[in-house]
Amino acid sequence: MSAGVVYLDYAATTPVAPEAAARMTECLMLGGTFGNPGSASHAYGEEASARIEAARAQVAGAVGAEAVEVVFTSGATEANNLAIFGTAEYYKGAGRHIVTARTEHKSVLDPCKELERCGWSVTYLAPGTDGALEPARVAAAVRPDTVLVSIMHVNNETGVIADVGAIAALCARAGSARIHVDAAQSVGKCAVDFAAFGVDLLSVSAHKAYGPKGAGALLVSRRRGAHLMPILQGGGQEGGLRSGTVATHQVVGMGAAFELASALRESEHERIAALCEHLWGALRAVGGVVRNGAAAARVPHLLNVSFEGVEGESLLAAVRSHIAVSTGSACTSATQEASYVLRALGRDDRLAESSLRFSFGRFTSEADVDRAAAVVTGAVERLRRIAGT
Amino acid sequence: MSYNELTRRYFDDPARSGTLEGPDCYRGAAGSRPAGTWVQFDVRLEGAGAGARVREARFLAFGCPHVIAAAGLVAEEAEGAAPEPRLPHSVHALRERLEAPVEKLGRLFVVEDAWIAALRAATGD
Repeated sequence: MSAGVVYLDYAATTPVAPEAAARMTECLMLGGTFGNPGSASHAYGEEASARIEAARAQVAGAVGAEAVEVVFTSGATEANNLAIFGTAEYYKGAGRHIVTARTEHKSVLDPCKELERCGWSVTYLAPGTDGALEPARVAAAVRPDTVLVSIMHVNNETGVIADVGAIAALCARAGSARIHVDAAQSVGKCAVDFAAFGVDLLSVSAHKAYGPKGAGALLVSRRRGAHLMPILQGGGQEGGLRSGTVATHQVVGMGAAFELASALRESEHERIAALCEHLWGALRAVGGVVRNGAAAARVPHLLNVSFEGVEGESLLAAVRSHIAVSTGSACTSATQEASYVLRALGRDDRLAESSLRFSFGRFTSEADVDRAAAVVTGAVERLRRIAGT
Repeated sequence: MSYNELTRRYFDDPARSGTLEGPDCYRGAAGSRPAGTWVQFDVRLEGAGAGARVREARFLAFGCPHVIAAAGLVAEEAEGAAPEPRLPHSVHALRERLEAPVEKLGRLFVVEDAWIAALRAATGD
């Protein structure tokens, strides 16, 4: 079905790296490391546990953390939920206020909304029109009763990088709030240094970095003495913070993928930046285009462009048989809702809906980008002719 | 969103998109681009009185594929027909032929409004 369609949606998910897939298959079948890692009474369990600890070290190494700080989860969504609900539950006696941004992922915004329903107060900061969030504005929102600041590192729609180190430093001066960073889009795309960031909690996802879906982690700073209450009760795995048998094959794949992504990051950066600018140059030539998230600091893997004078659903319909990209709208069965991230950047509904997010990855070639450019510019010109714009 | 073959055909190849110019051409439009759907029809008539016919029809459309396909379908099927300010078939029939979701009915009414405006301009109704 997707044969011949150029994949430019790496920010949504990535294919599992062959190196990671090979390690995963070693943990599935009889003769492999299939044991329950919690079964300390026999060699099967010990072997699985050893593979998990090795993966934990790989993940920690890729993000500048200590292995003991890694809590494996089912993904970044669970990690974000654990960070927010776990912090809220632990520190609720100290205050009931959270600071976050309007451009966060739903897995941050929805837990915040749930806490609001429970009587918490949440401040939602708006970024500038360039997508950047000024660290001083974040710190200024911290109140004496603020217990958590949750800010994403790399925005999943615009690619804009937040200066989380500066945010953490300024917030530390402003109060005693814990700092959580959603870094689901960061690994392999820009430097992630948990210790240097000076934050308390950091969420990561495996499948955004050529690992498997269904795996992620929350890093919990030991040095900063971060505390959480678990949101799952059960066997007390992962230091009591995430009950449930750890999926050996998943975290082993995640460890291998993170190690590889970290090793390739610098060499991939230049190549992908060139592809991104090549596509932007081609798209810009069609005129009436806006690059969303034009802040100086952004990952090169992501290009978000709005096309003036083009209706969003028609644009997607015109290109989808040729390229796989995300749009600036959430489609339901019949209607569209403009991206709340792009609207937060000041785009109106029409412009937000007529946006395409191109995200590049390890397997993207120049030929892929050339084809995407031809398809999109052709579609935009055709739809503008039909619309008389 | 998936589209049936008819919608896909008229969206991919909108043969009657464009405008008409001349003293025997009439124009009508409805909707608005900022609101998400805008359609314009141009019609050229031939003959007069009871023998009048739509000789040509062209459209411009800012909208979803169903709107573009509907406008193309209306323009094509109107040619040769009497210039009456109504669709040859109802909006509901149009929606069924294009298998457009019922939530898009409002957008198809914009197509109808634009067609009626063009024909009213042409017939002086």
